[in-house]
Amino acid sequence: MLKSDLIFRNPLRLMGQDTEDTLPPGGFGALLARAGLGKTALLVQLAVDTLIQDKNVLHVSLGDPVKKVCLWYEEVFRNIAAQYGIRQSDRLWEEILPHRLIMTFNVDSFSVPKLEERLTDLREQNIFSPRIILIDGLAFDGNVKASLTALKTLAKDQAMSVWFTVRIHRHEAPGPDGMPAALSGIGDLFEAILQLQPEEKGIRLVPLKGRSAQVPSPLLLDTSTMLVKIEK
Amino acid sequence: MKSDIRKVRNIGISAHIDSGKTTLTERILYYTKRIHTIHDVKGKDGVGATMDSMELERERGITIASAATFCEWSDHEINIIDTPGHVDFTIEVERSLRVLDGAVLVLCSVGGVQSQSITVDQQMRRYHVPCLAFINKCDRSGANPSRVTAQLKEKLGHNAVALQIPIGLEADFEGVIDLIAMKALYFDGDKGEKVRIEDIPASLLADAEKKREELIDAASMFSDKLMEAAIEGNVTQEMLIEAIRKGTLVRKLTPVIIGSAYKNKGVQPLLDAVTNFLPCPSDVENQALDPDNNETPVILASDPKKPLVALAFKLEDGQYGQLTYIRVYQGILAKGENIVNVRTGKKLKVGRVVRMHANQMEEIESIPAGYIGALFGIDCASGDTFVSPGISLTMTSMYVPEPVISLAIVPKDNKSEINMSKALNRFSKEDPTFKTFVSDETGDTIISGMGELHLEVYIERMRREYNAEVTTGMPRVAYRETITRHAEFNYVHKKQTGGSGQYGRVAGYIEPTADGEDFVFENKVTGGSIPTQYIPACEKGFRNCLAKGPKMEFPVTGVKIVINDGASHSVDSSDMAFQAAARGAFLEGYAKAKPVIHEPIMKVVVETPSEFQGQVMGSLNQRRGMIVAAQDEGPICVIEAQVPLADMFGYSTVLRSSTQGKAQFTMEFATYRQIPQSVEEELVKKAAEQKKRAA
Repeated sequence: MLKSDLIFRNPLRLMGQDTEDTLPPGGFGALLARAGLGKTALLVQLAVDTLIQDKNVLHVSLGDPVKKVCLWYEEVFRNIAAQYGIRQSDRLWEEILPHRLIMTFNVDSFSVPKLEERLTDLREQNIFSPRIILIDGLAFDGNVKASLTALKTLAKDQAMSVWFTVRIHRHEAPGPDGMPAALSGIGDLFEAILQLQPEEKGIRLVPLKGRSAQVPSPLLLDTSTMLVKIEK
Repeated sequence: MKSDIRKVRNIGISAHIDSGKTTLTERILYYTKRIHTIHDVKGKDGVGATMDSMELERERGITIASAATFCEWSDHEINIIDTPGHVDFTIEVERSLRVLDGAVLVLCSVGGVQSQSITVDQQMRRYHVPCLAFINKCDRSGANPSRVTAQLKEKLGHNAVALQIPIGLEADFEGVIDLIAMKALYFDGDKGEKVRIEDIPASLLADAEKKREELIDAASMFSDKLMEAAIEGNVTQEMLIEAIRKGTLVRKLTPVIIGSAYKNKGVQPLLDAVTNFLPCPSDVENQALDPDNNETPVILASDPKKPLVALAFKLEDGQYGQLTYIRVYQGILAKGENIVNVRTGKKLKVGRVVRMHANQMEEIESIPAGYIGALFGIDCASGDTFVSPGISLTMTSMYVPEPVISLAIVPKDNKSEINMSKALNRFSKEDPTFKTFVSDETGDTIISGMGELHLEVYIERMRREYNAEVTTGMPRVAYRETITRHAEFNYVHKKQTGGSGQYGRVAGYIEPTADGEDFVFENKVTGGSIPTQYIPACEKGFRNCLAKGPKMEFPVTGVKIVINDGASHSVDSSDMAFQAAARGAFLEGYAKAKPVIHEPIMKVVVETPSEFQGQVMGSLNQRRGMIVAAQDEGPICVIEAQVPLADMFGYSTVLRSSTQGKAQFTMEFATYRQIPQSVEEELVKKAAEQKKRAA
């Protein structure tokens, strides 16, 4: 299978949930779910989809070590390769790898100025210039608004879009704006919000905000491979 | 020697460079009364630590060859292998782990889990070696054992559980609180030899009780008895020890001990932990392979009455000849008995049997199952299996990586030449990752190994131990050639002009292998267009082309050849003719299959203070490095990159100067990858210049 076919066949794109189409430069996207439903798996799929298009992805993980993040990528890529019968998948993997950079921080030591400093280092030396940043593990608590606002400015300045994973809890009631509690009061910073909801058939991707928010979602996470598939 | 196998421990001490393994071993030997004074690594007394027996190791302050030694503690016999920390010598670590039953993973309480700790941990996992962690250097500024315990969980995935908490830290580090006995331990005397047991200081009691609860929680997963006792509130020390041991043996629990070997604190409790929690030889299941039965695994019993199965895991050239370190897995290896080397099939008589204490030895009568010892006067290679006559079993082969770097060496005079050949013979027997051969083209002796430092150390050893002065050429990278697409060939080899003729036609196609295999040959010839008797000649002809690729004369890998047609002549066809036809067919197909050059790519991990992160990334980027990840760990940042080996020469100097000597790096082979066009052109140019010079 050709790389272009792979890009086209991505179910996310068929849904109009293409990472770049969905998020303009400086745009924010959020993947919401309770613990263990597959936020990171979905995030890594967004990353792999972007990498296949030869676009640079910076994966920022707060809490997980590099090795674990790498394993996620290997696993997701292996499953995609198997699902689409990619021949010589090793070569494709080698091709996309230079477009990915992983950064990990301890949850407590992460700050937007620190990330900005690192990004400046990378850009100035012409080492790496990301198109999309994925931030996994940021705590969406009372203090997050200031960080997100600073990050929004940074993203706009450098024409990057940013996807976040947001952990939600069963017992939390939605905020007055109808948004899940974690995004209450900050929902306007996000251009797209997708929530993962467990169902009998699998885990459904429900768009809460964005282009396809009004359409009933046909997308499910296959619980065996954790890949996005279209409901038949 | 103990007769009770349950009181034997074969352990290794593994860690990152400079975590203090050798210092720790030195203290262990002192407290177990094997030595009577303590010498430090890079010590001012110029003697060096006992385990660093090679002069070079003492000078550089690193352990290269793992020396084996034994000691006694609480009625237990402990055999210790001190393993090297530098990644260039990991074959030594791998070999040690193969023969060990348990290991102590030494971690620095400031540096925490570092890159090499991760490598060593992977190796321990590969050989299912249960381990306990010793967090050393608690007296250092910035020491934080709880952070290191957390890293053991996060970075290495261990279920790490603290058995102790510190009494003070950094300069105030006084001793430890034993959470099993709930007592405070202080280490008195000039060299910490007197362990004073006191009640827990009131200020630490609450913390100690909390940590003990955590310990009981973790250990009770492995013992119902302990779980019940915990609910009823009557946990005994024995129950706790038994449960921790159970968890440790199955690698589901990693007990964490803390201390400072250099300040003589916490070593005796570590020895208690080794005897209490690490396995004895009979706790471990060892397997051998039956070569006569399709290499079916055979489980060995740690029983001295059964036939002998022993593994030679290390060779050393001593003043009395070759010393072979051996681990007996089954049976007994006794002086005067006949044994068979499975690889060569040769029968040998066991001469002197010794027990090693670094570079001193003690003569013994026999080595029973489960023990480690050494033999004199046995001619063998590292990794050979010895068995009793009449049985045929071989220990599983160890994973040996291919060398990635080579160097031409030229002896300075005749005497050096003789000594050099003796040294090379010895080194290649001792270390399977070190290889040597004579270049057909230049006549130079080439040595190859796993990295720059690896080869440097051997050159130094030649100089010091064998008095062989050699000059070295520029290091050469092990490039490879391969093809990138499918191509057809159809070649006729025809010489029928006078004399006996030659005729053969070979047709088929060449393509990259699917699973990364080096070479695949498939015969799809039907209807006898190439007679069956000439097929092996065709294969041989193709194989012969692999050693020197047509593009740049590098070895060819990753090539699949399928022949599906051909022609022969009833008189003029021969093996020779088909070999020549295959060679021609290969050249024809290869040229059309878009050949490329591949180079070894190293995984480079740099640990640097965060303020130098930018410089380090820049230095790796300048070397055509691909930055894979940057791990921020507060004051330290770990950068992982993939860098072509060809650009890594002299990197240690560059790194030192750009980080004020505060960063360190490790390097290991990762993969082969195609070189960029510009580099290829450079290589072609260089090769042409070399040819010109040679002509």
